[in-house]
Amino acid sequence: MTAISLKPKGSREADNPSRNERPKRPLNIWLLVRVAIVLCGAVMMVAPFMIMVSTSLEPNTATLPNPPHFLPQTLTSANYEEAWTENNFAGFFGNSAYVSVLTTVASVVISSMTAFAFARFDFPLKNFMFSLLLAGLMIPGIVVIVPQFVLAKSLNMLDSLEGLVFFYTAGQIAFTTFLLRAFFERVPRELDEAMTVDGAGILRKFLVLYIPLARPALATAAVFSFLGAWDEYVWALTVISDATKRTLPLGIAAFQGEHSTAWGLVFAASTLAVIPVIAVYVAGQKHLIAGITTGAVK
Amino acid sequence: MMKKLFTLSSLALLAAAGLTACDTGGGGAQPAAVSTLSTGAAVSGEITFWHAYSAGGGEIKALEKTIIPNFEKLHPGVKVKAVQIPDKDMHQKLVTAAAGTSLPDVIRADIVTVPELAKIGVLTPLSEAMPDFQSWADKMFPGPLATNKYNGKLWGLPLDTNTKVVIYNDEALKANGIASVPKTLDELKAAADKVGGKYILAEGGSGAWQMLPYIWSNGGDMTDPDVKKSSGYLNGPKSVAALQMIVDLYNKKAIPGVILGGSGGTPTGDGLPKGMYPTIVDGPWTFPNMATSYPNFQPKTSPMFSGDGGSVSVVGGEDIVMTQQSKNKELAAEFIRYMLSPDAQKSMGQVGQLSAEKDMAESMASIQPYYGAFLEQLKTAKPRPATPQWAKVDDIFTKQTQLALQGKLSAQEAMDAAVAQIDPLLAQG
Repeated sequence: MTAISLKPKGSREADNPSRNERPKRPLNIWLLVRVAIVLCGAVMMVAPFMIMVSTSLEPNTATLPNPPHFLPQTLTSANYEEAWTENNFAGFFGNSAYVSVLTTVASVVISSMTAFAFARFDFPLKNFMFSLLLAGLMIPGIVVIVPQFVLAKSLNMLDSLEGLVFFYTAGQIAFTTFLLRAFFERVPRELDEAMTVDGAGILRKFLVLYIPLARPALATAAVFSFLGAWDEYVWALTVISDATKRTLPLGIAAFQGEHSTAWGLVFAASTLAVIPVIAVYVAGQKHLIAGITTGAVK
Repeated sequence: MMKKLFTLSSLALLAAAGLTACDTGGGGAQPAAVSTLSTGAAVSGEITFWHAYSAGGGEIKALEKTIIPNFEKLHPGVKVKAVQIPDKDMHQKLVTAAAGTSLPDVIRADIVTVPELAKIGVLTPLSEAMPDFQSWADKMFPGPLATNKYNGKLWGLPLDTNTKVVIYNDEALKANGIASVPKTLDELKAAADKVGGKYILAEGGSGAWQMLPYIWSNGGDMTDPDVKKSSGYLNGPKSVAALQMIVDLYNKKAIPGVILGGSGGTPTGDGLPKGMYPTIVDGPWTFPNMATSYPNFQPKTSPMFSGDGGSVSVVGGEDIVMTQQSKNKELAAEFIRYMLSPDAQKSMGQVGQLSAEKDMAESMASIQPYYGAFLEQLKTAKPRPATPQWAKVDDIFTKQTQLALQGKLSAQEAMDAAVAQIDPLLAQG
């Protein structure tokens, strides 16, 4: 950590009197540059979001306002009412929640066990199998969509929400296993051995030692799995035809027509869809950043 | 890998199609009499219908609340499951479903995709599946009907159609000193010279959908009538002259940069009502779109700018087709008949879908006054070349016209280069 940084009061630096007593520096040019960069980034992230919310609160139009409105000019909730009621949106919301929660639970449970095995056991072809798992991450999903579709059909998983969970979980566990393995490997072997001395078995060690210690990584894995399932479009589009089984991304796409798009409805629906995502992020944020950094650096 | 899989699955499908063809062909027997709309009843079961009608514009409501319930009332006990698929994803969903033998019975397919679907063995030719096919085909405008042609057969029927005409802003023209809208390509050029440095026309892209009306109207063409070769047509003097005219207008800044596609710039549907672009060439959907965003603006129409080839615009729209995999072809055929019936066509006409049937022209024009101009233009409008390779052909053409607009190639060089790439594709059929 360099001496010049933006730190709120009460942070570690504030607790350190020797640092606080240093002579005040003149306005640091680098500090300004850094603030400016961060501000630019923030504006770039927030602007589309503001346009989305603002357009969703204006009367529905077929063309987007040009230049875009950052604040609504005439307020109306009509888009939200129509988006929620007209197109079975509440149903899509429920479908997405069901699929995303089940995918999250399934992928975290499966990948934590897989990662534990990769991190703490030795077995033949271990590294090969792990490479195989990672290879799965490197193949773009669209390449395997046709054989995967044929597989889903033979498993009777077309037009089925549980079928979505099955394939989403399969898609997620490679990454979450990779993330969790790195975390489990950092758990000191001494702790593990101490529990062995106390007579603890593998299951007990896994549940009492590894899982609680890996909370940040588990939170990260959970957030990624949730978002992956919540946002996924192409696979859902391919396997879901029944209108009652649509997930949110499919429901939102349905507002876009060939020659015209009901932008007010698209943005109202997108705003509603983004709320759970923000909630999940806020809830998991504290663990999320810790999880990503520890997972990245072994 | 993807390509290989598609080829394999296409081959499998083709083989399957061939086998079934042999089965029915061997006996030489006609299928059992199919009930028609006039005789009612005798169909049963359930079919699935895939479409890309828009939810925003009332099309889905017309389909799900009026047309399908009426059809089901007409044939008690039958069920039509309608599935909406976003337009831009329809193609991907169709090819995946074709490989997984999970296609629906009936599809509302974009006209440019029909030859490709026919080629990969997805469709059953309607001319063979419907005994009364000819009577339906005779009702259609020739341009939309021709979009169903592939390999000497007609694979579907036009479900709805559209074309583009000149739409103009009278005030913007007058403000620039142009007394009346240009009727011919020559008048357009003269008007561009007169306004000197101001926009006279806006096009939202430089693909075949945008450029072909100029090429055809100037007397040029993209391919020979059989769609076997483009050399001598697309790089012929008339086609090149049409493209050169567009390039010249662009260089004189009489056409705005939105013609190069991409983002930025005012879209044609905004620029016209705002008075930035005095004329655009666009379809009937422009009217409801502008009516919601610019309620005070009164767009006016005029036929496509004419030249040596006449006033020739391009046909858009959708065809209705039946799949080879359909297990209930009788009901599928009956549903197709109903979708083409005056009742269903009028319901769709109310929400912006123009009928491709000649008898319907009058009732369409009475639904929306602005339909009249499009119906008139449809009499001479031509479809884009019907080839399974269309997506690639259009891509090559668009890239070359962009190079010409950017001044990197002359119009002649650009079209020579396009022809060199397009001809081998057309040869594959």
